[in-house]
Amino acid sequence: DGAAVLPAPQNLSVRSVNMKHVLTWSPVIVPEEIIHYSVEYQGEYESLYMSHIWIPSSWCSPTQRPECDITEDITATVSYSLRVRATLGSLTSAWSTLKHRFNQNSTILTPPRMEITMDGFHLLIKLEDLGPHFEFFVSYWRKEPGAKEHVKVVRPGVLPVYLEMVEPGAAYCVKARTFVKAIGRHSAFSQPECVKVQGEALPL
Amino acid sequence: RGLRRCLMSMNLHRVEESFRGIKTAIQAKDTFQNVTILSPSETLHGTQPLDVCCVTKNLLAFYVDRVFKDHQELSPQIMRKISSLANSFLYMQKTLQQCQKLCHCRQEATNATRIIHDNYDQLEVRSAAIKALGELDVFLAWIDKHHGGTSAA
Repeated sequence: DGAAVLPAPQNLSVRSVNMKHVLTWSPVIVPEEIIHYSVEYQGEYESLYMSHIWIPSSWCSPTQRPECDITEDITATVSYSLRVRATLGSLTSAWSTLKHRFNQNSTILTPPRMEITMDGFHLLIKLEDLGPHFEFFVSYWRKEPGAKEHVKVVRPGVLPVYLEMVEPGAAYCVKARTFVKAIGRHSAFSQPECVKVQGEALPL
Repeated sequence: RGLRRCLMSMNLHRVEESFRGIKTAIQAKDTFQNVTILSPSETLHGTQPLDVCCVTKNLLAFYVDRVFKDHQELSPQIMRKISSLANSFLYMQKTLQQCQKLCHCRQEATNATRIIHDNYDQLEVRSAAIKALGELDVFLAWIDKHHGGTSAA
């Protein structure tokens, strides 16, 4: 029975940032041999109702690299079980299963990168494209005491965004954060970025 | 929590996308074309606002407890899409459970659901599961209509 001869992959873990989920593990080393890995997953539904069912991952059945992008397989905000096994020719290892089930609501949300630009007297913001899950909350204000802070919600795919008309000689600041409706969470705000508008301030 | 706000976190866009991925393949396997299970005219069309939550809850349970379980699939591609649907429905069930206080079940809602189960029981179980899966767009359209605005994600 060749199943147990090949050691099973160890140290499975999931690295999830901004709704991109990557399963990693320690490679199985057999000198001068190429090891292939197969990844399978089981959603909470399968665990509850069909525990014998495991589904081959979209991109890693098989793969040669000790990691697997499982983003397309994790499609609901429920917990998922993941397992990997190694294969060398006809030899197959035992399955190794991720110790703790993974839920996309644990993903790390980073403040979005942004670029503030001017188009004439229009203040524009270009935001990092993080994919269809992400909305952006953009906060902007005129850099002067007591200035009112304005907020604009930016849907996925709508870039760059016009914020407002600006006045010569004035300075404006902008910050942004992301929101992911599927998990009901938002990132921290980015550091404010300020720009000074060319030209002489208008007389009062 | 208002029912709409309660369901707002649902990612219906992804559910619709998953269904589009299997619709042709699943409907092609449906050998009883002249029979329907969800039969909109009898069950879903006339749903009153008061009954929306209960019908939603009952139909989610119908799919989670019966249809997805009864369907057997060999193709990995279709398995993935059905897993996506099943786990999304499971998530919707959990989300709906937060609205228990708003989810009263009147006789009209219970009758509508019972017709669907009766239709399902008329067929052999595998055929029934295939047909109900193929009619998911009827249910998704109904959710979109009655829980409007939950599909943007």
